[in-house]
Amino acid sequence: MFGNYGQRYIVLTEKDINERQEEDIGKVSAVLSIRREEACVLLHHYKWNISKLSDEWFADEEKVRDIVGLLLNGIDLPNSRKLTCGICFEGYSSDVMSSAGCDHFYCHECWEGYISAAISDGPGCLSLRCPDPSCGAMVLQNMINKLAKDDDKVRYARFILRAYVEDSKKTKWCPAPDCTCAVEFVSDGNYDVSCNCKFSFCWNCTEEAHRPVNCETVSRWILKNSAESENMNWILANSKPCPKCKRPIEKNQGCMHMTCTPPCKFEFCWLCLGSWAEHGERTGGFYACNRYESAKKEGVYDETEARRERAKNSLERYMHYYERWASNQTSRQKAQADLQKAEKEQLAKLTDVFGIPETQLKFIIEAWSQIIECRRVLKWTYAYGYYLDDKVKSEFFEYLQGEAESGLERLHQCAEKDLQSFLTVRSDNTEPAPSIAEFGDFRVKLAGLTSVTRNYFENLVQALEAGLEDVHSTAQGTTSSNATNIPSKKAVTKGKTKKQLPRTSSDNSDEGWPCERCTFINPSSVDACSVCDKHRY
Amino acid sequence: MTSSSSPSRKALSKIACNRLQKELAEWQVSPPSGFKYRVSDNLQRWVIEVTGAAGTLYAGETYQLQVDFPEHYPMEAPQVIFLNPAPMHPHIYSNGHICLDILYDSWSPAMTVSSVCISILSMLSSSPAKQRPQDNDRYVRNCRNGRSPKETRWWFHDDKV
Repeated sequence: MFGNYGQRYIVLTEKDINERQEEDIGKVSAVLSIRREEACVLLHHYKWNISKLSDEWFADEEKVRDIVGLLLNGIDLPNSRKLTCGICFEGYSSDVMSSAGCDHFYCHECWEGYISAAISDGPGCLSLRCPDPSCGAMVLQNMINKLAKDDDKVRYARFILRAYVEDSKKTKWCPAPDCTCAVEFVSDGNYDVSCNCKFSFCWNCTEEAHRPVNCETVSRWILKNSAESENMNWILANSKPCPKCKRPIEKNQGCMHMTCTPPCKFEFCWLCLGSWAEHGERTGGFYACNRYESAKKEGVYDETEARRERAKNSLERYMHYYERWASNQTSRQKAQADLQKAEKEQLAKLTDVFGIPETQLKFIIEAWSQIIECRRVLKWTYAYGYYLDDKVKSEFFEYLQGEAESGLERLHQCAEKDLQSFLTVRSDNTEPAPSIAEFGDFRVKLAGLTSVTRNYFENLVQALEAGLEDVHSTAQGTTSSNATNIPSKKAVTKGKTKKQLPRTSSDNSDEGWPCERCTFINPSSVDACSVCDKHRY
Repeated sequence: MTSSSSPSRKALSKIACNRLQKELAEWQVSPPSGFKYRVSDNLQRWVIEVTGAAGTLYAGETYQLQVDFPEHYPMEAPQVIFLNPAPMHPHIYSNGHICLDILYDSWSPAMTVSSVCISILSMLSSSPAKQRPQDNDRYVRNCRNGRSPKETRWWFHDDKV
């Protein structure tokens, strides 16, 4: 979808992670000539940083061994046949006792309990030491596998797997529920990644993908949406406490004569909050209240009222952006469902009706994928707009956003509505079935809109990410970012068109003509755009 | 007192019983010096008298430790507190809770009541002044309703005392 992802990141399945771990362990155990499980604890201690581990190992092996608790020589079983377990104090014959390579022997039942207690305490079990408080010998994985219960062995192995991902600065778990993949981020810059499970997220903040806004804006926006304070603002702006019982009352249009709900039933005036009984001719009529209006005119209405007014203005602004943010989210979910429907049923049906192989119907899937992606971008442009407080930029931004919105609407409508006419089965044959030629036209239109919308949104994301400063220079094809003057709308949109579809000659007779509105390149044989119907001249 | 209302305690497991019987037998043969086990028939709760070592701030003073054992002792640490009155010490709260790592995070099943007692006496002996921890009042207030010290997240900041 967006740009060229190349090798910016790598999705790792559990199997991949295991293989990488085994590879690292194998490498380290070969280079340092140590056992596999020793390499494993060393790597865990050094957060899987092989170069740091080998540097420190070769600088001072003894010190590293001491810190990590790797004993140099295995202790031979003591000579006596009977030993006392250091935990249960029972006597056992030495063949049912074990130590972590030191001379502190414990019976296998106590080892099992000791390991189990450590594993249920969490990932700290990966650096489990000999139970003797004065001994730092590390309990290695082969000990765990020999002595622990089966489910503890599994949990221990999982902790190792998790540690590999969580210790590394370059890998993170996919945040989608039930997804077991991790993503390794390779390059810098654009953090949007897409997991095997199709979930797109920002690798940096692990929220869902949110280009063109940055991580900070996302967390501010999410916090704002969840904050109870918005509810408080709403109550403050749209409700007043009943002057008698103090419960908040919402006024949903209508006259100023308020009656509180039972049991209070107090009748009062919404404007001045005075008892309704005192209202009449004297206060300016039954359904108006001069006491409030005249005070408001003179600017003496009280501080609470002013605060309520301010809250209402800021709340209305927020609601404007929030509603659009949320409705794009909803549209996106609908589009995701539609994509699944297309994949599961519709393509097969079209193949049946028109005899076109599914491989040639990919353009429908591409259209839906593009819609899903664009809905996401459009959604976040509303958070972008909410926090944009430069008047000139705002105006320009709203223009770009409006264009994006209508472009996407065109595409979404084409995918949703136009396609339907080819899917509806007419069993009664009242209308002639659409012909293959008509389907061909539809195909040209949908594919054209998909590519036009893709281009527009790519440019939009770049422009917004550059803070709308660079639009001018981007449009002119330079990379300089020090253009400080705000470009005029016209210059920019023209520039964008140029960038998307470079024209090599002023005479378009052999190459077709680009539509002014949607930029689709039409064959020179037609005078109206085959995508959006705009006339050529 | 905290101890009397400790949350529904499960009976000792067989392993715990065996181990405690052995510990008690060993204690009776060679008790740690300065400590006296108060005889009772409750294996799950020991009360131990400790006498301050000569030449320290607590010389000649006697305090009582109460040790409660969980079901899965020794895999789980025992709960050890001072009965009222608790000694004045920078790591001992007025409700008897003791800030000592081996009673919590650093517990190991290879430790025993006897080794814990020795650690506590050594902690008392090295005290530079008879005073309560700085956050005593706040901590004790938060521990009302018989909260066990094992539910506290201890932060062992001072290993000098």
